[in-house]
Amino acid sequence: MSEEKQVKVHVDKVNKSYGDNHVLRDISLDVMANEVVVMIGPSGSGKSTFLRMLNQLEMPNSGLVEVDGYDISDPKTDINKVRENIGMVFQNFNLFNNYTVLQNITLAPVQLGKMTKEEADKRGKELLATVGLSDKADKSVNSLSGGQKQRVAIARALAMDPDIMLFDEPTSALDPEMVGDVLDVMKDLAKSGMTMIIVTHEMGFAKQVADRVVFFESGKIQESGTPEEVFNAPKNERLQTFLSKVMQA
Amino acid sequence: MKKVLMTLVTAVAAFLAFGVASQKPASASEPHYIIATDATYAPFDFQDKNNKYVGIDQDILATIAKREGFTYELKPMSFNAATQAVASDQADGVIAGMSITDARRQVFDFSTPYYRSGIGWATAKDSKIKSLSDLKGKTVALKTGTAGAQYAESIQSKYGFKITYFSDSDTSYRDVINGNTAATFGDLPVLQYAVKNGTELKVQNPKDPFNAGDYGFAVKKGANAALLAAFDKGFAAIKKDGTYDKIVNKYLDAKASTFTGSASDNNSVFGILRSNSSAFWTGLKETLYLTIVGIILATIWGLLLGVMGVAKSKFLRGLSTTIIYIFRGMPMMVLAFFIYIGLPGVIGVKIPAFTAGVLTLILNEGAYTGAFVRGGFNSVDGGQMEAARSLGLSHSKAMRKVIIPQGLKLMIPSFINQFIITLKDTSILSAIGILELTQTGTLIVTRNSQGFRVWAIIAVIYLIVITLLTWLSNWVEKRTRA
Ligand SMILES: Nc1ncnc2c1ncn2[C@@H]1O[C@H](COP(=O)(O)OP(=O)(O)O)[C@@H](O)[C@H]1O
Ligand SMILES: [Mg+2]
Repeated sequence: MSEEKQVKVHVDKVNKSYGDNHVLRDISLDVMANEVVVMIGPSGSGKSTFLRMLNQLEMPNSGLVEVDGYDISDPKTDINKVRENIGMVFQNFNLFNNYTVLQNITLAPVQLGKMTKEEADKRGKELLATVGLSDKADKSVNSLSGGQKQRVAIARALAMDPDIMLFDEPTSALDPEMVGDVLDVMKDLAKSGMTMIIVTHEMGFAKQVADRVVFFESGKIQESGTPEEVFNAPKNERLQTFLSKVMQA
Repeated sequence: MKKVLMTLVTAVAAFLAFGVASQKPASASEPHYIIATDATYAPFDFQDKNNKYVGIDQDILATIAKREGFTYELKPMSFNAATQAVASDQADGVIAGMSITDARRQVFDFSTPYYRSGIGWATAKDSKIKSLSDLKGKTVALKTGTAGAQYAESIQSKYGFKITYFSDSDTSYRDVINGNTAATFGDLPVLQYAVKNGTELKVQNPKDPFNAGDYGFAVKKGANAALLAAFDKGFAAIKKDGTYDKIVNKYLDAKASTFTGSASDNNSVFGILRSNSSAFWTGLKETLYLTIVGIILATIWGLLLGVMGVAKSKFLRGLSTTIIYIFRGMPMMVLAFFIYIGLPGVIGVKIPAFTAGVLTLILNEGAYTGAFVRGGFNSVDGGQMEAARSLGLSHSKAMRKVIIPQGLKLMIPSFINQFIITLKDTSILSAIGILELTQTGTLIVTRNSQGFRVWAIIAVIYLIVITLLTWLSNWVEKRTRA
């Protein structure tokens, strides 16, 4: 590998509309390997849409989206293969209700032929240990608290051994006392060098882990920079307004 | 998806072929016919206490067949269905106390008249109605498609009465006795036989029937000339040698108990159960058989429709929606008649009643099943699919491993409900002459006129079976939860 850092996500002039609602306007963004990018911005500004576009849960109307070197705006690309390398964590966890905790984690690696059942079970238990839930392996997912569910969801995504992890407001549906456990897991993950794109309203967390903070507003990236630049010396007027509102809360 | 579809098509085809093959094959030496009849028409066509089809018509037909050297399979069904079965080549001939009319001559060729009859009318025993003009503003009960009904319709505007229709005579008699309707019109000998057997009606014109006319054996116009000729030839012979008179007297002079069994067999629930136990049992078995085959095949078909209804392909989704729309909207009896009576005329293959019945169940119950299966899959939270796809699972794998198992669990109560509905709906198939529990009840009531007791027994049998089915389903549900 060359010294030059590898580009993991390359987005160029992407547009997305729902009917008359122009949600993403000419967005361009590059994310490098091992980089942690945090996206902030008011609700409805297009953060989720942007994130979901990176693994084609949404299709852009125009523009280029390259992930891991694959052009995923090209219909010929096997999207299932690309998705194996992109972990996604949702606000509402979306654990599979018909499986136990461990089965949630092993389903995809086994079904997609990445591991045998035994290998997957072993790896699944390791992952459960890293997120601090070893004792829950055979529990039904509905017996878990929100914070536990989200940690299982992270373990599930990691079981596919992805290059990139996407997080869409992973702590927004949690009771406050659960938020810390989940953020701790994500901090460890960031330290391990995982490439991460995170949508969150946890500003303290963003300051701690982000290499870069991106401010979304009205479907545009209004400002981006290091946490110091964005939080301590915001230039954009809308960012200033946004920050003063969030800090008050 | 294609594989499942092919399997189902093969299964249905095999099933149809089996049904067709199971029909009695024609013997090489003697011609073999299918004769339709309406077995709720004593003294011409009914079942005796041993569940044998007897009556003036049946004895005449059996005697003639023997003399003229042909064999036949009897297909009992409602009168309307019987005539339509012949008109659509589902049966070769019909003998069912059928009056020869000009309108019917357009569609059928009739034998020489074998019985002179006419229209009688009857009221409840204690009714104040004495003449037709007393019927003004009242309602009369008629059996659909009969000459009696036709006559009543022709004088309806003159006497100013209203009409309600029933599909068998006994129910229309009951309606008059219960006071819901004021009078009934029917063939005089049939009315008289019923009164003799204890039906509490009073025949108003025993001496002078309206529209005196003749009964004939009928085949489809221009078809089955040999059968018709054989009937005429045999009839001439038995008329001449006195056999015919013996047959008629046997039924018209006989005590009711000769055919219906002793009074003690009929005036208690236990007597009826005892003397008809084999009929009830046979009917129940047929109902269970229909229900089980119907539930299994309709469930397979419904699951397929439901899976198609959430497929990625717009075409499959549209197809599923259309099929569900058509067969959910169509009354089951119409569907049964269409398959049993309408379809054979188009495809040129006779469809046995049981096969037609099962096809009806598959299409009708399958459509309802398809609708709730589709609904069940759709009600699985959309996040489940997104999470599965995000891990790299294909759409079909995500369906199989995540959505379908969760959807099926949500659907279990709907399945149990649909199974019970299927059991109940098999009774509708009595209309095409399938001898299941309800049709069995109709036949027994025709014979013994014990409507209340017989229908109470039948209702209790259904309730018992439904209770057992519910227990079984709940047991299965508990096990799938564990
Ligand atoms: N599936 C959809 N159909 C129609 N409109 C949508 C859909 N998803 C999102 N939107 C709209 O797109 C805009 C951006 O939404 P979103 O990306 O969820 O914003 P954020 O995540 O920043 O809150 C909003 O106006 C939202 O209503
Ligand atoms: Mg969002």
